[in-house]
Amino acid sequence: MADLAGQGIFLGIIATGLRLATPYLLAALGEMFTQRSGIYNLGLEGVMLMGAFFGFFTTWVTGSPYLGLFVSMIAGAIMGLMMAFVSVTLKAEQGISGIGFSMLGWGLSGLFFRLYVGGITTIEGLKPWKIPVLGDIPFIGPAFFNHHFVVYLAFLLVPVSWFILFKTNWGLTVRAVGMTPQAVDTLGGNVAATRYQCIIIGSMMAGLAGATLTVANAQMFMDNITAGRGFIVVALVYFGRWSPLGILAGSLLFSMADSFQLWVQVLGIDFPYELAVILPYVATIVALAVSFGRVWAPAALGRPYERGARG
Amino acid sequence: MKKFSMLTRLMMVVFLAMAILVAGCGGTEKKPEPPKAQKLKIALVLPSTIDDMAWAQSMYEAILKIQSTMGKDNLELAVSERMGRPVDAGAAIRQYATQGFDIIIAHGAQYQSVVKEIAPEFPKVTFAYGTGFQAGPNIFAYDPQAQDGAYLMGMLAAKMSKSKIVGIVGPVEAGDAVKYNKGFMQGVAAAGGDVKTRIAYTGSFNEIVKAGEIAKTHMDAGADVLSGTSQQAVGAVKAVAGKPGTYWLSVDMDQSKLAPDSVLASQTYNWEKVVTKMIELRKKGTLGGERLTLSFADGMMEIKYNEKLVGKIPQDVKDAIEKTKKDIISGALKIDVSK
Repeated sequence: MADLAGQGIFLGIIATGLRLATPYLLAALGEMFTQRSGIYNLGLEGVMLMGAFFGFFTTWVTGSPYLGLFVSMIAGAIMGLMMAFVSVTLKAEQGISGIGFSMLGWGLSGLFFRLYVGGITTIEGLKPWKIPVLGDIPFIGPAFFNHHFVVYLAFLLVPVSWFILFKTNWGLTVRAVGMTPQAVDTLGGNVAATRYQCIIIGSMMAGLAGATLTVANAQMFMDNITAGRGFIVVALVYFGRWSPLGILAGSLLFSMADSFQLWVQVLGIDFPYELAVILPYVATIVALAVSFGRVWAPAALGRPYERGARG
Repeated sequence: MKKFSMLTRLMMVVFLAMAILVAGCGGTEKKPEPPKAQKLKIALVLPSTIDDMAWAQSMYEAILKIQSTMGKDNLELAVSERMGRPVDAGAAIRQYATQGFDIIIAHGAQYQSVVKEIAPEFPKVTFAYGTGFQAGPNIFAYDPQAQDGAYLMGMLAAKMSKSKIVGIVGPVEAGDAVKYNKGFMQGVAAAGGDVKTRIAYTGSFNEIVKAGEIAKTHMDAGADVLSGTSQQAVGAVKAVAGKPGTYWLSVDMDQSKLAPDSVLASQTYNWEKVVTKMIELRKKGTLGGERLTLSFADGMMEIKYNEKLVGKIPQDVKDAIEKTKKDIISGALKIDVSK
């Protein structure tokens, strides 16, 4: 009996961890494209909040969570377009403009919520979707194959992103633009267009990640529902060395640690809750500290490209 | 902009500023104003928003009720929301104090040190904060006796739990959360029947996604009656609503509208009475210095059953709760939160 209970807890931790990892994974894969092209988007927190609100609002008004997810991506794209204009065309300092967008997203989402929704409202969001056959495997089935659609999507996007980034011409252009934009420009490539595309894609995924919180997880919206996740995403991209597999590893490490500490608390294991709550962050820092190898950031990351300028 | 010289640009900025100033001032006419009655100005500083269906909303609505009783011309209310960080709250409090507000209410346990820091600089202003008990010469501390209500909630949870496991979704181990949890556990123990209480914290007052996750984890681990404090509890309420057969016991506000089939009862505070008391004390010249408790005895705390579900509670359980409440009011039963 104890064995079964132990297995139940272990699988419970995995199921919760996969669910927690989804928004981080989605947003981090998107930010990976953005940063690979050379742009820091610290505005992810604001983008996620806008996606969270519009996903929630659309679901509330239309009754369709899938439409909500779609609209959240459009909201993300619009935020991305603005960030791209500020970072690529106006060549503003990316860190500062990113923080500005975070505040814009926070303020606007809260304002729209106050104006058009009014108070705490729940929605019928995504229901878990059990994958036939795989979901029926004893023990493993419920842990891995009985989740919301966005969870599956997030994990599927890992190999898809890997393929796009490393096996397509466009992916090569993205990587080149992030390393040596001058070379791409000299050869006739369009640095600005590539960066615009990457920022918009990244923001679309961040919008979707935000909507995951409201349409799949909490099934309601509240001011500042993301509570800093957007900034953790930026750290995860660094942790993952700008590669889909690394980002997957980082998101899982963080979220599994988080899930683990929740279960530790719930089961009443004698452990100070303050330490439990910081466990995911500590685990990530420790992993970063002990990991080997130099970190090869995209060389042009954070530097606006100006044709003819030095270096 | 390179075409304009430095001087030209400076002139443009000055003209623009002057234009804005003129536009701003030009519209209003100065009429001789009739002497008006002393208008009471109250400022409210909140950690979340006025529509959080919990801690902040209940206080906000209470003051609105006072405003409608006193008349809008006699009471002006200003609100600062999203002051989750005490530093931001401090800036807002200071600003209200310099603007001549009479009573500044910092609604959150986390504001204690910032209020104590600012209050001495404005001795004619009344400051208030809660949950807290340390008052000052011009500081009121209001202290909801959450542990008393929690005791009754704990009894209710223990009696209504079929799985003999109840769960608490906590924010941070501070303020009224700690009093509530301790009272709740004692209530569960008093109800008998070997019911286990489990507590998990999110680490914040505002993390509604985490609160929902903790609720889900509690339920996965076998709990069937849950409770919890702070504005993030709405996330847990929704999670409980998603699993029929589980109940939630609310704190701060009647949350049964949110989940009519899951919220069994709510512990609510009558903030109106405590704020009215502050206004009256101030009128008589007492600007602070008192610890104002909210308890069953003075009618400032209530347990409200959800009308829709009240039939599911056995009568003997309701009777036991009523009797215990009377014992608390009379002082026969004191719930100790020092342990």
